[in-house]
Amino acid sequence: MKAFQRGLLVAAIAVAVSAVVRVRGKGHVPPATGGWRELQGPDFR
Amino acid sequence: MTSVLIAGLGDVGVRTARQLLDTPGIDHVYVAARSQKHADTVASALHDGATPWELSHHDPVFPDGVDAIASALPPHDDLTLAQAALRAGISFASASDDANELNALVGLDADARAAGLRVLVGCGLAPGLSDVLARHAAGALDAVDEIHVARWGVAGETCAESARRAHRDPGLEWRDGAYVHDRHQGPELVWFPDPVGARECALVASGVELLVTANPGLERATVRLGGPAPRVGVRRALTPPPRRDPGASWGAVRAEAWGQRGDTRETVVYGVIEQTAVATGTVLGVAAAALAGGMPDVTTPTLGAHGLGTAVNALPFLAELARRGVKAAAFEGATIA
Repeated sequence: MKAFQRGLLVAAIAVAVSAVVRVRGKGHVPPATGGWRELQGPDFR
Repeated sequence: MTSVLIAGLGDVGVRTARQLLDTPGIDHVYVAARSQKHADTVASALHDGATPWELSHHDPVFPDGVDAIASALPPHDDLTLAQAALRAGISFASASDDANELNALVGLDADARAAGLRVLVGCGLAPGLSDVLARHAAGALDAVDEIHVARWGVAGETCAESARRAHRDPGLEWRDGAYVHDRHQGPELVWFPDPVGARECALVASGVELLVTANPGLERATVRLGGPAPRVGVRRALTPPPRRDPGASWGAVRAEAWGQRGDTRETVVYGVIEQTAVATGTVLGVAAAALAGGMPDVTTPTLGAHGLGTAVNALPFLAELARRGVKAAAFEGATIA
């Protein structure tokens, strides 16, 4: 019973930590704007 | 009469021959292979008067009057051929991307200078076109401190094997004035023009030294390489067309330069996509034509052994490639950190 309670406690802490990281974390793929433009004649002068 | 000999008639060599046959100012093209029969077959397939030539392994002999040799041989065959070319008084261009062979070819610098000749090292996508794009990007900044180039794609089975070998060897990075070998860096996503898009590319050693030599003053320089995973033919055949990777058959390079323009730190990014063998054959063809004297404004008059980033003028070189259908693109936009 004690082991079960410990397991529940660990699971609860893990859920709480992951929730904090998801809500407050700053890790993300930097958004990029723009695109590729083919170089034309004037670019080669 | 201007003549060029192409050594090695695989995917890249045949495209190089095609490019040279279509180059005004190149009067004669020899197509050379280890086997006379293969050289005959390629020469007759080209329909334009290319002359077949058998190239022996150990003591290669060249036809009289050849002005330049373009080599698309498998790795480790170029050094012997380049030495024979210099002995015969012929300038040499190589498409090899093997790190050891690149260093060996650059080591011919003194011999080439003494003979009054030029050796162009790494005339492929990367090293090669990537170095020219990097020079062009660096030229758009007042001061450049970082250059990162990447290549996606292979031109054939020999090229794929060379890429696998490059990935097995430890990657090399130029960091704060020293070369650092790093075995522990994983692949990174690199964005190429569509349809190649974002691909995982890992650090490799080949071409880093050419990049650093061509761009003095760099604090960081890296070369990354990626390619499609080898897939069993049956599995590929069973994949329905809508689910096949549209970028798998393409080749792409990307060059990214970081530095100062005015008071701000900026980045300039150029990229190219094309069928890998076509792009590599075009780069090697233009380099060889320039060596033979067919395009005086494309190369610098510097004698010795150099990479394309040092030996060619970026704008005329890129303009010539664009005229032949290998078109560079600039990334316009900003990454919001």
